[in-house]
Amino acid sequence: MATTSKQYKAIGEDIWKSRTEKTNTELFALTYGALVVQLIQDYEDYAEVNKQLEKMGYNIGTRLIEDFLARSAIGRCADFRDVGEVVAKVGFKAFLNITPTVTHAAAVPTSPSRTSATSNANASGASFTLTLDDNPLAEFVELPEDALEGGLWFSNVLCGVLRGSLEMIQMQVQATFTSDVLRGDETTEIRVTLVKYLEEEVPVGDD
Amino acid sequence: MPPPLRLNAVAFVSPQNHPILIRTFAQPSQDELKYHYIAHTSLDVIEERIAAAATTKSTECYLNLLYTMEDVAVYGYITPLKVKIILALALSDSVVRDVDLITIFRAMHTAYRQSAANPFLKLDAPTEGINDHATVLLAGGAQWKGFRRRVDEIGRAVAAQGATSAPGT
Repeated sequence: MATTSKQYKAIGEDIWKSRTEKTNTELFALTYGALVVQLIQDYEDYAEVNKQLEKMGYNIGTRLIEDFLARSAIGRCADFRDVGEVVAKVGFKAFLNITPTVTHAAAVPTSPSRTSATSNANASGASFTLTLDDNPLAEFVELPEDALEGGLWFSNVLCGVLRGSLEMIQMQVQATFTSDVLRGDETTEIRVTLVKYLEEEVPVGDD
Repeated sequence: MPPPLRLNAVAFVSPQNHPILIRTFAQPSQDELKYHYIAHTSLDVIEERIAAAATTKSTECYLNLLYTMEDVAVYGYITPLKVKIILALALSDSVVRDVDLITIFRAMHTAYRQSAANPFLKLDAPTEGINDHATVLLAGGAQWKGFRRRVDEIGRAVAAQGATSAPGT
């Protein structure tokens, strides 16, 4: 397990280094900040802004996964636990140059009669939590009072990206923030929960 | 061994001469109002210096000693966007090096830059007078919390540096 983790870190490091056009972090942070502020002015409802950020992230994620798989050439993940590792060590590293720590939680068995615990990592309800110790999107941000009260998750676009990219590889997940340093919490954490594995479906409109 | 610098207060003034932040570091018994007054007086001196510098086409940020008064020496710095930073140092016999002051000014400038980059800064501004950026920079606003924190940290760092460089007892 440890070696695989190191391998993932090395792969992530390589992808980041081999990327020739890197963006200025400040420009990135300022652009995202301006985007969020504009959304707030347009919608005036923080729950709606959260939703829109997530939607935007979803659209980004569906396209980003292609880029990621092309660059990393990582094979299929064995189970959801593996997915968590790859997302944290390779995915985040390759695009944001940060490595969040992953903590896994197996699914809670729904039926008490189920004795075998083997495939628990793949069961729906399995989840992992990403703890970001530094968030490049929120570099200069201080949330005003009403944003704090309104429940704004500033970096909600990341949740959408996770949902979108994992959906393209046949996993339906739910990604939400559980805590955020901008809100005064100690850590910034995203919990990703597996809802179900998707069957291959013929896209609507194809004959 | 560099002589200790005793930072009494720092003031940030907007290009339209509105105060952005005035912070004192000295003993709390010191009158804060005195530093507001010092900042005001400095504005005139700064304008003189800028006028003089404009003739010589100088783009220097650091304005050096502006004037001394009672027990403080006042130094000035102007950012490229015309935000003025005014430092009041306790007057002492020891030589104060320019390079130390420039370091402190740069740290203050960086703190201001980082706080001004907060994307939520303009949300509190009134919709009229959009052209006047000064309205968003008014002092005492809640949005400057992080700025105050950063400035306090710089103040503490300067005080600590002064304490460590003093002869040990």
